[in-house]
Amino acid sequence: MKRLLINSKLLLLALTFLGFSGCKKFLDVNPPYGQDAENYFQTPDDYERALVGAYDLLQASFLSVWIGEIASDNTIAGGESANDTEGLHQIDAMTHGAVNNELRSLMRWNYAGITRANYILEFQNSIDFSGKDQILAEAKFLRAFYYFELVKFFGDVPLVIDRRIGASEVTQLDRSPKSEVYAQIEQDLIESAAVLPVIARAKGSATKGAAQSLLGKVYLYQNKFSQSAQILDEVINSGTYSLIADYADLFSVANENNSETVFDVQYSGAEGGGYGCLVCLEGNAGPGFHGIRQYNGPVYGDGNSYNLPTQNLYDAFASNDPRRDLTVLDIDAFIAAQPNAASITYAVGAGGHTGFYNNKYIKRQGEIGLPDDDLTSPVNYRVIRYADVLLMAAEAHFQNGNSGSAQNYLNQVRNRVGMSSINISSVQEIWNERRLELACEGHRFFDLVRTGQAATNISGFQLNKHELFPIPQIEIDLAGGKWNQNSGY
Amino acid sequence: MKVYQFLVVLLVFFAFNSYAQLKTVKGNVSDENSQGLPSVSIIIKGTQIGTNTDIEGNFLLEYENNTEVILLFSYVGYQSQEILLAGRAELNISMKPEEIIKDEIVVIGYGRVKAKELTGASSRVKGEDLEKMNMSRVDQALQGKVAGVSINTNSGSPGGSSSIRIRGLSTFGDNDPLILVDGVIYDSEGLNALNPNDIESINVLKDATAGIYGVRAANGVIIIETKKGQLNSKPKFEFSTYVGFQQTAKKLNLLSAEEYAVIKNEMFGTAGQPLPFNNTGLGIGTSWQDSIFSTVPIQNYNLSMSGGSKSTRYSLGLTYYNQDGIVGRDKAHFSRYNGKANISSDLNERWQLNSVLLFSNEYRKGLPENGIGSVLYNTINAFPNEPIRTPDGNYSYLEEVADIINPIAQIENTYNFTWANKFVGKEELQYKITKNLFFTNRLNYNFAMVDTKVFSPLAWYGTGKYANTALNADLDAPQVEIADNVFVERGSSVFEQRATFTDLNYEAFLNYEQNIDSLHKIKATGGISVFHRKGNALNGTAFNIPNNSIEFADISANTAAGGYLNNTGSFEFTERLLSAFLRAEYAYNSKYLLSGILRSDGSSKFGKNNRYGYFPTISGAWLISEEDFFNSKFIDFCKLRLSYGISGNDQIANFAYRALLNGEGVYVFDDVITTGVALGRASNPDLKWETTGQFNAGLDLTFFKSLDLTVNYFIKNTYNLLFQPDVSAVIGSYGPGGAAPFINAGNVSNKGFEIELGYNSTILNTFKYSLNFNTTLLNNIVTKVPEGVDYLPGAYFGVGGNVATRFEEGFSIGYFHGYETSGIFQSQEEIDASTVVQDGAKPGDFRFVDQNGDGVINFSNDTDKKMLGSAIPDAVFGFSLSLFFKGFDLSANLYAAIGQEIIRNYERNQPYANQLDYVIDRWTGPGTSNIHPRLTVEPSRNNVFSNYYVEDGSFLRLRNIQLGYTLPSKLLKKAKTESLRFYVAANNLFTITKYKGFDPDIGPTAGTLSSGVDFGFYPQAKTIMGGVILKF
Repeated sequence: MKRLLINSKLLLLALTFLGFSGCKKFLDVNPPYGQDAENYFQTPDDYERALVGAYDLLQASFLSVWIGEIASDNTIAGGESANDTEGLHQIDAMTHGAVNNELRSLMRWNYAGITRANYILEFQNSIDFSGKDQILAEAKFLRAFYYFELVKFFGDVPLVIDRRIGASEVTQLDRSPKSEVYAQIEQDLIESAAVLPVIARAKGSATKGAAQSLLGKVYLYQNKFSQSAQILDEVINSGTYSLIADYADLFSVANENNSETVFDVQYSGAEGGGYGCLVCLEGNAGPGFHGIRQYNGPVYGDGNSYNLPTQNLYDAFASNDPRRDLTVLDIDAFIAAQPNAASITYAVGAGGHTGFYNNKYIKRQGEIGLPDDDLTSPVNYRVIRYADVLLMAAEAHFQNGNSGSAQNYLNQVRNRVGMSSINISSVQEIWNERRLELACEGHRFFDLVRTGQAATNISGFQLNKHELFPIPQIEIDLAGGKWNQNSGY
Repeated sequence: MKVYQFLVVLLVFFAFNSYAQLKTVKGNVSDENSQGLPSVSIIIKGTQIGTNTDIEGNFLLEYENNTEVILLFSYVGYQSQEILLAGRAELNISMKPEEIIKDEIVVIGYGRVKAKELTGASSRVKGEDLEKMNMSRVDQALQGKVAGVSINTNSGSPGGSSSIRIRGLSTFGDNDPLILVDGVIYDSEGLNALNPNDIESINVLKDATAGIYGVRAANGVIIIETKKGQLNSKPKFEFSTYVGFQQTAKKLNLLSAEEYAVIKNEMFGTAGQPLPFNNTGLGIGTSWQDSIFSTVPIQNYNLSMSGGSKSTRYSLGLTYYNQDGIVGRDKAHFSRYNGKANISSDLNERWQLNSVLLFSNEYRKGLPENGIGSVLYNTINAFPNEPIRTPDGNYSYLEEVADIINPIAQIENTYNFTWANKFVGKEELQYKITKNLFFTNRLNYNFAMVDTKVFSPLAWYGTGKYANTALNADLDAPQVEIADNVFVERGSSVFEQRATFTDLNYEAFLNYEQNIDSLHKIKATGGISVFHRKGNALNGTAFNIPNNSIEFADISANTAAGGYLNNTGSFEFTERLLSAFLRAEYAYNSKYLLSGILRSDGSSKFGKNNRYGYFPTISGAWLISEEDFFNSKFIDFCKLRLSYGISGNDQIANFAYRALLNGEGVYVFDDVITTGVALGRASNPDLKWETTGQFNAGLDLTFFKSLDLTVNYFIKNTYNLLFQPDVSAVIGSYGPGGAAPFINAGNVSNKGFEIELGYNSTILNTFKYSLNFNTTLLNNIVTKVPEGVDYLPGAYFGVGGNVATRFEEGFSIGYFHGYETSGIFQSQEEIDASTVVQDGAKPGDFRFVDQNGDGVINFSNDTDKKMLGSAIPDAVFGFSLSLFFKGFDLSANLYAAIGQEIIRNYERNQPYANQLDYVIDRWTGPGTSNIHPRLTVEPSRNNVFSNYYVEDGSFLRLRNIQLGYTLPSKLLKKAKTESLRFYVAANNLFTITKYKGFDPDIGPTAGTLSSGVDFGFYPQAKTIMGGVILKF
C-alpha cells in the first residue's frame, strides 16, 4: 500500500514535468483590452480615431511659433534665467549650435506627427467606406504641415512616406533634398485640396481653403510666385473668408473660428497640464510662457515672461497704428493707466526684460488650467488667417509684376485697422506690412530668411549659416552619423 | 543500555509512588578553559523551572522528582547542552563555545546548506540584529550590515522606500534584487508590509550562485526567512514595544530676513533695478523650517508566540506600528498592522506541511516630496520677510516668487491616502520519498489590494501659483466650458483607485542527498516553477465635493452637474514565468566542493523570438583548513571559493516587444477634447533579457576561533542592458504617450572588493563583546553605450536647465557632467587679460575652464564640460558593536559612505527665492571671494551647472545606538518570566558630513540616472526611543 502511494506520487510528479513541457502557450499573454498597431484598422471609426492622433501634434506648434519670433528681431527669449530653456537664449543670440533641446523637441514632435499621418496612409487600403477619402485627405494635409515645419527649420530632411520606420532602418535613411520634400508637400496639399470640403466637418478640421492657403505659402517659400498668386487668388475669390472688423477681437478666445480663420490649431481650457510633458497639453502653452511674471493685477494672468517683444518691434509701428498696442503690451504704461496702479505688481525674470509682452498670445485672467494654472490658455494658434493670405497674395503678385492686385490686397489689410492706403513702390513695403500685421505670430524669422533680409535685421546672423537651424547632433548620431550637418554649424 | 532502561522504569516507579518528592542537584559549569562560567541558564526541559549559575559557575537546583529530568544548559556564545540528570545529586558540566556561523544552516535557492559547504558569496544577517535597529522597514535595518549591499533611502517620510543595490548599479532600469520571503516573491517597494520583528534570518546571495533564480537573479537575491517555532517546546510568549519621538536631524542654514533684504537689494542694485527693500532692518523674520518641522511620535507593539508539540511547530505574531512625519505631522503618516502565522506539521513520517501566512494592513498619508513643488522645496525657497499668515489670518501668498507656495498651506490642503492590505504566504507539502530524496510541492501567493484616495480641495495660494485649484481667494470654483457657451463648475475633486495585484507561484522540486561513501557526497536539486502575476485597477475622479471638505471626500458624495468632468479609468496586466532548474553538488572528503546550476526561464515579457533563456553557473570551494598539510595554530578555518555564472534581468514593462496603440491621441474639435488613438511605445520584437556574467573569488577565514574574515572580489559584467535610450526623431515615437522602444544595448561593469570582519570575545567571563565591520569598494563603469549615441542624458539641473548626469562609456552610471570653475574674475582687467574668451563675463562671475583649449568657453555645446563627480560612493563601511556586561548591553551601528558626490538642486534660482547662508560670503568686489560668485538678477552664467553645485556627499552616520538592561533571572523566576529587558535607543543620532543639504543618504528619486540629485529630499528622522522586551 505504501509502495503504491509512493508510486502514485512519482507518477504525479512525472505528469507535472510532462505538463510543463506542453504548456508553452502559458506564456502567450496578450495585452488585455489593448489594441495592437498591426491589425488595428477594422472599421471607419478606427480611421477617425487614428486621425485625431495625427492632429494632436499640431498642438506642439507653440515651439515653432516661439522660435519664429525669438530668432528674429521681434522678440527676445526671456524666462526665469539665461539657463531656463537655454536653447531659446542661444537662438535669440544666434549662438545656437547642434546641441539644443528645443530644436530637438521640434524635430521629434513634427516627425511624430508625420508618423501618425503615415500610419493611417500605410493602412489606407485595409477597408473601404464612404468618407475615407476625406480622412486620407486630412492625413495628407497634416503630413504636409509637419514636413513644411521641418523643411523651414532644417532644409533637407529624411522623407518617409506612407510607412513607419523601425529602429534598425533609421541608419539607412539619408536626408532627402529640400526640393524632394517640397515636391511631396505640394503633392499632398494638391491632393488634399481636391477632396477637402469648403466648410470644416468639425471646428478645427482641415478645409479646402486651409490646404490651398498652405500650398500658396509653400510656393511663396520657394519663390514660385505665379503658382502662389494663382492658388491664393483661388482662396480669395472663393469668398469663403473675410477680414473681421476689429483687429482687437482677433486673438480673443470668444472670437475664435471666425470669418478670418483659415486654419487654427485648436486648444482647450478644460484641461491643464504640467511642465513635465509640454507635448501632451490640450491647452496652448505659448500664452502661459509669454505671460507676465508673477503678475498680480487686472486683465492678465500670471506667466513666465518668455518671448518678449523688443523696442525695435514697438518702434516699427506708426504711433497711430492700433496694431502696436494690440501686439505689444507696454506693461508699465498699462499699469500706470489702471485705477489701482500702485497695487499692481509683477516681477522681472533674470532671462531678460524689455518692458514689453506678447499681447496676442498672453495668459489672461481666469484662464485656469489645472494642475499648473500659469501654463496653458485655451486661445487657438492662428496658423493662417485671411490677412496673411492677402499679404502672401500681395507679395506673390508684386513679385510676379502685378502690383495692382498687390496694392489692393495690401490695402485691405491696412484699411481694416484704419490705416490709410498706400501705393506700393517696392516689395519691402509689403514685407514691412507683413511684419506689422503678423508680428508675434511665429512668421518673422522665416520671412526674413526667405526674403533675404535676415542678415541686415538680426544681429549675429551669419549668411550661409543661420538661414537654417542645425540638425541636432544627437539626431545625426542616432541616424548612424552619416548625415552632413547644415553649413556653418 | 539495560541500566538506562532500568533507571527509567525506576523513575517512573518513583513518579507514581513518590508524587511531588523534591530533590536537589548541585554542580559547577565551566568554560573551555575550566574557568567557572557565571549566569549560565539551567532549565528543566519542558518546564519553567530553572536557575542560573553564580559568579563561580556553581548552581543549586530543586526539582520535583516525578519524571525523567533533562537539564538544559545554555549560555550566549556557547553550545547548549541537554543532560539527562538520572537522579544525580551532583553534576559538573563543561560548556563548549559555539562554532560561530560555520555549522549554521543557510537557506539557499530551493535548498539548505551548511555555511561551511557554501560555494557562493553570500552574507547573512540574523533577525535579532535587524530587530535591534528599531526600523520600520527591513531594508532600512539592513543598511550597513552586509558588504556589497548598498541601501539608500528614497525618502525619509513615514513609509518611504529605500533602494537596495547588490554589488553596484548594473542596469539602466530596475536595479532591485529579487526578494523572497519564505520563498514568496516580494517586490522591494512592498517591503513596507514586512515586519522586521518577524524575521528569523536574511541571506543575501550576491554572486552567480543566485543564478538558480535565472532571469530575475542578475541584481542578486535576498532570501528572508520568517520565525518558526520549535518542536517539543512549551509556548513562549514575547511582548516587545518601543515608543519614542522623532525630529529632524538637521535644518538648513538659510538667510534671515535682514540678510535676505540686504542681499536682494544688492542683487537688484547691481542689475540697475530699483531696490526692493527700503528698510533692511527686518531681524530674523519667519523661519519656515521651524514651522514645518515638528517632533512627532513613533511607536511599535509586538506580541508573538511560538512553540511546538511533538509534530507541529508554530510561530504566531501580531504587530502594530505607528509613525508620523517630521514634516507635516499626521499628514505624513504611516501605520501598519501585521499578523503572522508560520506553522509546520509532520503529518506522518513522510509528509510535512508548512504553512506561512503574513497579513499586513498599511495606512499611509503622504505629502509632495522630492522636486519642484515639494513641501521642503517650498520651505527652503520661501522668503523670510513674509509671515506665515497675513494679519487677516490667511496664509501668506509669497507672491514675489513663481511656483513657490506657502508650505504650511500646502500641507493643510494635501490629502493623500493609501491603504494596502496584503496576504502573502505559502502552502507547502514536503514528502520524504526515501531518506535521501525529498519532494517539495508548494503554492506561493502574494495578494495585495491597494486603495488610494486623493482629495484636492479648492485652494488658493496667491495669484498665478501653479497649485491653485480655486479661481480666487474666496475659493470660487473655476468654470469650464464643455460646449459652446455651456459652462460647468469645477469644484474640489476626489480621486479614488482600487488596485489589486495577485501573484500565484507553483513550485515543485526534488532534493536528493547521498553520501556514497565516506569520501564522496552528492546532492542534487531539480524542479520547476510556474509564476503568474495579474494586476488590475479601477479608478475614478469626481468633482464638486460638498463644502469643499475632506469630510465628504468620496466619489459617492460628488455633486458635479451632469458628471461632465467626472471620469473613470482602469488598467490590467498579466505577466508569467515558466522555469525549470537543476543543481548538482559534489563534495569530496568535505574538502573539495563543486556545484553546477542550470536554470531555464520563459518570460512573457518577451516576444516569441526570445522567450526562453538558459542560465548556467559553476562554483567550487576548497576547505584548505581540512587539508592534512594545513597546520596553523591561529587559523581555525580557511576556505577558498570561486564562482562564475550567468543570470538575467527581465524587469521591464509588459509587452515592450509589441507596438501597442497606447499613445495619447487627443485633439480639440468643436471645442471639445476628443480622444482618438495613437501609436505608443515603438515595438522591438527582438527584445530579450539583459544578462550578467559574474565572477567571484572569495576567502573565508577564522582566526583564534573568534575572528571571522570574509573577503570577496567580484567582476560583474552586465550585457545587453534593457532600456529605452533615445532613438532617432524620424521613428516618430516622441508624440504624446509615445516612447522609444526598449532595446538591448550597452554594457556596464562593476568590480569590487568586499570585506566582512567579525570578532567575538569574552573578558573575565563577565564582559562579552562582538565587533562587526564590513566594507565594500566598488568601481562602476559603463563599458558600452548604444550604437550611434555618445551618451544618454539623465537628470536635469535647475528649472528648464541642461542635462547634468549622463550614461557614457568610460564613466560610472549617471556621472555628473558640467563646467569646471577656477575661481572668480576679480576685475574687468582680469577678464580682458584672460586668454580664454568667456562670453558675457563680468567681475564677480565664475572663471570657467576651457577644457578643449580652443580659447573660448563654449556655452552652446558640451566641449568645455567635464566629469564633476558621481553619486556612487568609492567605499561604503558598516560597523557594529555589541557589549554585554552583567545584564547590561550596549550596541551601536555606524554607516559611512565615502567618495560620493551630490548635486545641490534644491535652490530655486529666482530673484526673490530665499537662499542658503553661504551666499553671505559672496563676491562683492575685488578680493572679496574666490569661491562664491556675485549675486545679481541680471543674466549671468553663474547658474549653469558647474562643480560649484556639486558637493562632497561623504558621510558617517550613527544609525543606531542602544543601551539595554536585562533583569537578573532570579528576580523574574517568581513572576514566571523568562526574561525582561529595558532599553533606550536612538536612530540617526549624529551624521558627520560636509554636505549642506538635509541628508546625504539619498537614493535615486527618478530612475538610475537621478542618483545623487537632491531636490529637497525628505530627510530621515532622528529618533529617540525607549523599549521593553518581555519573554514569558
